Amino acid sequence: MKVLVPIKRVVDANVKVRVKPDNSGVDLNNVKMAVNPFCEIAIEEAVRLKEAGTASEVIAVAIGASVCAEQLRTCLALGADRAILIETDEDAQPLAIAKALAAIQEKESADLVIFGKQSIDADNSQTGQMFAALTGMAQATFASELTVADGKATVVREIDGGLQTIEVTLPAVVTTDLRLNEPRYASLPNIMKAKKKPMDTHSPADLGVDMAPTQEILSVEPPAERQAGITVESVDELVDKLRNEAKVIS
Amino acid sequence: MLAELHEILSPQRVLTDDASLAHYGRDWTRSYEVAPSAIVFPESAEEVASLVKWARATATALVPSGGRTGLSGGAVASNGEVVVSFERMNRILDFDAADGVVSVQAGVITQALQDFAQEKGLYYPVDFASSGSSHIGGNIATNAGGIKVIRYGLTRDWVAGLTVVTGAGEILKLNHALVKNATGYDLRHLFVGSEGTLGFVVEAQIQLTPAPAEQQVMVLGIERFTDIVAVLDHFKKTLPLSAFEFFSELALSYVTSHRDLPRPLQQPTAFYALLEFDEDRLDDASAAFEGCVEAGWVVDGVLSNSRAQSASLWQLREGISESIAPKTPYKNDVSVRIGDMESFIDETNALVTSAYPDFDVCWYGHIGDGNLHINILKPDSLASDVFHERCHEISPQIFAAVQKRDGSISAEHGVGLLKRDFLGFSRSDAERAAMAAIKTVFDPDGIMNPGKLLSE
Ligand SMILES: Cc1cc2nc3c(=O)[nH]c(=O)nc-3n(C[C@H](O)[C@H](O)[C@H](O)COP(=O)(O)OP(=O)(O)OC[C@H]3O[C@@H](n4cnc5c(N)ncnc54)[C@H](O)[C@@H]3O)c2cc1C
Repeated sequence: MKVLVPIKRVVDANVKVRVKPDNSGVDLNNVKMAVNPFCEIAIEEAVRLKEAGTASEVIAVAIGASVCAEQLRTCLALGADRAILIETDEDAQPLAIAKALAAIQEKESADLVIFGKQSIDADNSQTGQMFAALTGMAQATFASELTVADGKATVVREIDGGLQTIEVTLPAVVTTDLRLNEPRYASLPNIMKAKKKPMDTHSPADLGVDMAPTQEILSVEPPAERQAGITVESVDELVDKLRNEAKVIS
Repeated sequence: MLAELHEILSPQRVLTDDASLAHYGRDWTRSYEVAPSAIVFPESAEEVASLVKWARATATALVPSGGRTGLSGGAVASNGEVVVSFERMNRILDFDAADGVVSVQAGVITQALQDFAQEKGLYYPVDFASSGSSHIGGNIATNAGGIKVIRYGLTRDWVAGLTVVTGAGEILKLNHALVKNATGYDLRHLFVGSEGTLGFVVEAQIQLTPAPAEQQVMVLGIERFTDIVAVLDHFKKTLPLSAFEFFSELALSYVTSHRDLPRPLQQPTAFYALLEFDEDRLDDASAAFEGCVEAGWVVDGVLSNSRAQSASLWQLREGISESIAPKTPYKNDVSVRIGDMESFIDETNALVTSAYPDFDVCWYGHIGDGNLHINILKPDSLASDVFHERCHEISPQIFAAVQKRDGSISAEHGVGLLKRDFLGFSRSDAERAAMAAIKTVFDPDGIMNPGKLLSE
């Protein structure tokens, strides 16, 4: 069984993001970048399937500028067998990404495609679903448990108010939720070995996909600053403030 | 006494209830009886000076008290002393952007200073597991070290100026944050590491430094204790390190179960080293790793992929002290020069394993600074006093191994009560006599933290 894992390069989750002074976007200058945490979970899941003997090959694929090769190398170090970079300097948006990935799937015919449920930069949660629609594959989103056997994937999904278990026939698309697994650390010997693993580069044109953005960002605003808390001197003062200022008790 | 104290401080800043006496009478050590007579909370240098004058007049002993995270009993009050807590002197006073110097009151929490520096786009590099509770005043009084010493040095290196109230009740302003000042004895440095025995640190001018580059963390698996030193040496020759810490498998097993953290490596190894370095030196660090593997010193290793992973790897080191705490460990904090490390490790390891075949010994520490923490864990079946007595028997032998190498019996935790009677292993008779003479200059009546560091 072949597993394809699309991954995204994003700002490290622990970086305090700053908006550019002209409000045109987030300042990415000299900012620590990492594999999107949900994509890291997707890679981990694919590698576990391989270690369990269920999967035979794990392919990581990224779309973006040449620096995305760094994150692909990380995925190779974590256990992917090979990597594909679709290189573009365009601001890649979900539909274009889904189309480019569908073109890759056309070539690779993976049995299982594991996406992160969303990327922590724009929080769209669209790419996996659009990809499933474009390829006509079954989809099981927000997975917190995945079992693959007999040409089927059984997926426990995190849904509002509980869990839902569904079965989909392969080939299928799965998107990962936070609780699916805890990704491992990249081992240094594997990082060394990863340098020798194959990484192919395609251009969107090779794949016949137009990456030009269809949406324009007009302005990016930082959230309102949270006000610092205060220390009150007495219980009476606290009650007074809760009643008259915060108006949370009557 | 209360009436007199109330003339100096408002009544709500003088506590004598049992809970407060027990709480403020001790530091992180748990083996001393505590019996202070009052806890006071001054808010200014002048109030501290008034307290000292009162103490001199009434021959009352004073114990300076910071965040009480000290590990040597330095802030313990066992003999009816008045504890002077700096909890209410916790203001950041002033920031000089041109010099990058911040003026703080002694009771500012270490982490608050770190956060302030970050807000200014700068960095305060003294950091350790207790920095969320310890005070700058306590850090200065113990010359605290921590996890970044290999690159940034100790607290002493960041103290640009001090305001102190001596045991004579005088307010001295020392060095005024000058970079150059060749006017004789630098009294500032006498107060750094003085453990509250000369006077009170009431304010400090702290030098901040530019924020470091993005950091990367590696954890390496090492089977032989002495190879850790070879690994350190090899890495240091290849790139500048921001940290080089080590811990044993026993330490790791405590911390991973206590904090529910994943293990770093697939297979356990006897020891682990944690390294931190600038991200743009990753290629050099990887080359150094390969060199260590080829030499047979390192069997495996991991690299953090993200800040979250760096933080989890750091927890493996920083969480040790807390996770072994239920075993009431007997702690030794010693240092030797890096060149003497290997033979010292061999000797103490042999000593400890032969003396304590039935005890678990947990090794960790800032090995990049030649600093080892040797923690002997109390078996559950053993009574506390029996356990301590047996540990006390071996200490002089460990200290003799330290002395043979001109090392220190207290690398960074201070002397306090815990190491006082062993000071002779690191300081000669003449040196201790000079220390005692210096104390009488600043503390003529012996009211400042008596019985700590030096015998009364
Ligand atoms: C989990 C843990 C990890 C630690 N790790 C490290 C480490 O890596 N490196 C390290 O160096 N230490 C470490 N320590 C020890 C401790 O945190 C440091 O010694 C710290 O500097 C003590 O600061 P404090 O404010 O808690 O001082 P306290 O414990 O309150 O006092 C320490 C000494 O300073 C004196 N003192 C306090 N305030 C003043 C003042 N304003 N004027 C004059 N004297 C004063 C006290 O009388 C006492 O002698 C650790 C402790 C813990 C619990």
